Amino acid sequence: MINSSIFGIAPPKLAYETIDEESPKSVQASPKEKITLFIEEAMEKASDALIKTGTPVRAGQKLTVYPGSKAYAVSPVSGEVESITPFTGIMEKQKTALTIRIGEVQDDGGDADPFEEVAKSPSMQVLLDYLATVPGKPDFSRLADDAEPIKTLLILGADSDLLTVTNQFVIKTAGDAIKNGVNALQKATSKRNINFLMAVPNHLIQVSGTAGVSAKGVSSVFPMAHPEMIALSVVGAEPAGKKDSVVFLSAEAVASIGRAFKDGRIPGDKQITFVGKDGSKKLVTAPVGTHVKDILEKVGATVKDGDRIIFGGPMTGVSIYSIDHPVEPDTDAIILQDKSQIVPSEDLACINCGQCVRVCPTHVPVNELVRYLDAGEYEQAAERAELDACIECGYCTYVCESRIPIFQHIRLAKYALERIKAAEENNA
Amino acid sequence: MPNRMKLTVSHAPFWHTGSSTSVKYYHIIGAAMLAVLFGLYQYGIPALAVLTMSVGSAMLWESLFNYLAKRPNTIQDGNAALIGLLFAMLLPAVTPWWVVVTGTFVAIVIGKQIYGGLGANPFNPVIVAYAMLLISWPVYLDFNAALVDYNFAFDPFYPMAAAKFQGAEMVEHFTISGMLMGQQVGGIGTGFGLGLIIGGAYLIARGFVRWEITISFLAGIFVTALLYNMSNPEVYAGPGFHLFSGMSLIGAIFLATEDSSSPVNFVPMLIYGALGGILTVLIRNIGVHVDGVIFAVLIISLVNPIVDKIRPKAKRRVMNYA
Repeated sequence: MINSSIFGIAPPKLAYETIDEESPKSVQASPKEKITLFIEEAMEKASDALIKTGTPVRAGQKLTVYPGSKAYAVSPVSGEVESITPFTGIMEKQKTALTIRIGEVQDDGGDADPFEEVAKSPSMQVLLDYLATVPGKPDFSRLADDAEPIKTLLILGADSDLLTVTNQFVIKTAGDAIKNGVNALQKATSKRNINFLMAVPNHLIQVSGTAGVSAKGVSSVFPMAHPEMIALSVVGAEPAGKKDSVVFLSAEAVASIGRAFKDGRIPGDKQITFVGKDGSKKLVTAPVGTHVKDILEKVGATVKDGDRIIFGGPMTGVSIYSIDHPVEPDTDAIILQDKSQIVPSEDLACINCGQCVRVCPTHVPVNELVRYLDAGEYEQAAERAELDACIECGYCTYVCESRIPIFQHIRLAKYALERIKAAEENNA
Repeated sequence: MPNRMKLTVSHAPFWHTGSSTSVKYYHIIGAAMLAVLFGLYQYGIPALAVLTMSVGSAMLWESLFNYLAKRPNTIQDGNAALIGLLFAMLLPAVTPWWVVVTGTFVAIVIGKQIYGGLGANPFNPVIVAYAMLLISWPVYLDFNAALVDYNFAFDPFYPMAAAKFQGAEMVEHFTISGMLMGQQVGGIGTGFGLGLIIGGAYLIARGFVRWEITISFLAGIFVTALLYNMSNPEVYAGPGFHLFSGMSLIGAIFLATEDSSSPVNFVPMLIYGALGGILTVLIRNIGVHVDGVIFAVLIISLVNPIVDKIRPKAKRRVMNYA
């Protein structure tokens, strides 16, 4: 799992994974007993909660925990709610975890699926109300805000991290769904003048033609398919102080939107690239919420104490701590690492070798930055060492000779600064 | 959650090139071995005594300081051994033991540890120690005096001293091929030019040493020496002599390239190296010291933080931050 070349005169080159098969196949995995869904909202003690233990759930039903709250999840299965627990994600992100025991639900013969009705006329409100948690996890927040100066909607057909082929698979196999999705999005944003663009790996430019959006080729060298790098090459650097004018949607998200409006049902099947301990990759389709252990069983992989399971790519993913962790709408890859493949971080100071500076795609002076971060001088880091220019690709940490967890430092600093800013705004 | 399996959890990225500081230092030690072995062959047992004393005492000082400062012991990372080795390579083979031990104390404690240890030193510790000794006890570092009891098959003058005090005429005794093959008096590990070049080529190819610094350092020496030589060939030796004599090669490959005291951006590396080369020849030709490499590297380490500010602009739109 570790790439290292005997020659070191140039920085190590990492290449994105590509799908070679003409018509790739995906294995369908399904949850065994229960699924877990995350609702992006902190759990509160509320007597008027809409969902309690034992509440029946239908497949495709939108689940909101508290009256009036905007956050929701859509259950891909029927059953009843087994538990509602708080969950803390990376960088203290507060969520509510809903565990649903799969089972038959008595059809009360009552109201039909409310989405079926609204699916006939795509609009921004429908997208926001029903499709924010579809596989691919589209972020509509900026798109929905008319005050945002958005010029370009960039559909990401290139996978932003290594080893992952999820979006490429969608581009290859779901051209029609993407086309439908683009049509729906164009209708929903018709009031604004937004340019639709698609970024795909160079070798898929031909295939991507079916989507009906002009396509841009993306280099196969890491980290050129990182959304921010694509935006840089498509729209260029924007003058200081200007706000972002590009929004990103993954190809899978657009395909999910297309399927939703075509079928009148909210889709729940997530496309996943599974990479085993030996580095072999498999394409797996599983409903959002499926526990990892069910997927491991399906692909015949075993996990032992000390191994690492990564959600997302090897450079920017998140490692999880339980095999009961569910597939999330943005889990593009699940990677298994054996205990012996793990290179631990070390508690060493920066020796100023400059590897990080030479690989940084946005020219952040990482050697200076890491000194500010180490000292906890986060504001100085932002002012003097270009903390904000970091796109969080993880390349610096991959090459660090002292094995400093630079990426973690950077995330922590950005998070701390955000909190300071929020506190200042509250006090103002 | 009921499952008791303990998975490894850490922050991204989950891959690493596998490089590490200790791998780097052991490789540099290995690359220096050709020149060291030649030194042993040329100077015999006294050279071995200086080398072992230097490496051993450097590691001891490191260990001792770590113990006193209640820091984790870091001798296994190879940096202290490397400092000891490079320091010994600069010394004459017959240096008294107490000079060696004083030197490694200066290198490890004053040159490196009091700034915070590995990566925090503003100057190359080896250079600091050597410069200190050069000022304190110049007599022990005078190669002509120190090596007077040896019988060599070649002219037993320290080439730098010959060029300085006797002019370009004396320099004709030294051929480039002779100097490459170690036919010059000098430090234990500075004479064998070919060995240093092979070691340097290996380090550059593996990425342990930044070629920009080495090449620009040598280019700086070459151009400056050439200009002097053209202006007055009777007084000033030619560029070939300056490139392969004295500490030029070990300076360009092993001393100027020390990570912590050298820049990391492309243009600054070129400026840093070239400045070192130019200063080396200036000190040799018009300065008071016989060889200029030590003080040249000391001075360019001073300008390192300033020149390293010359860097490409960060490439990304600026977000609105507090």
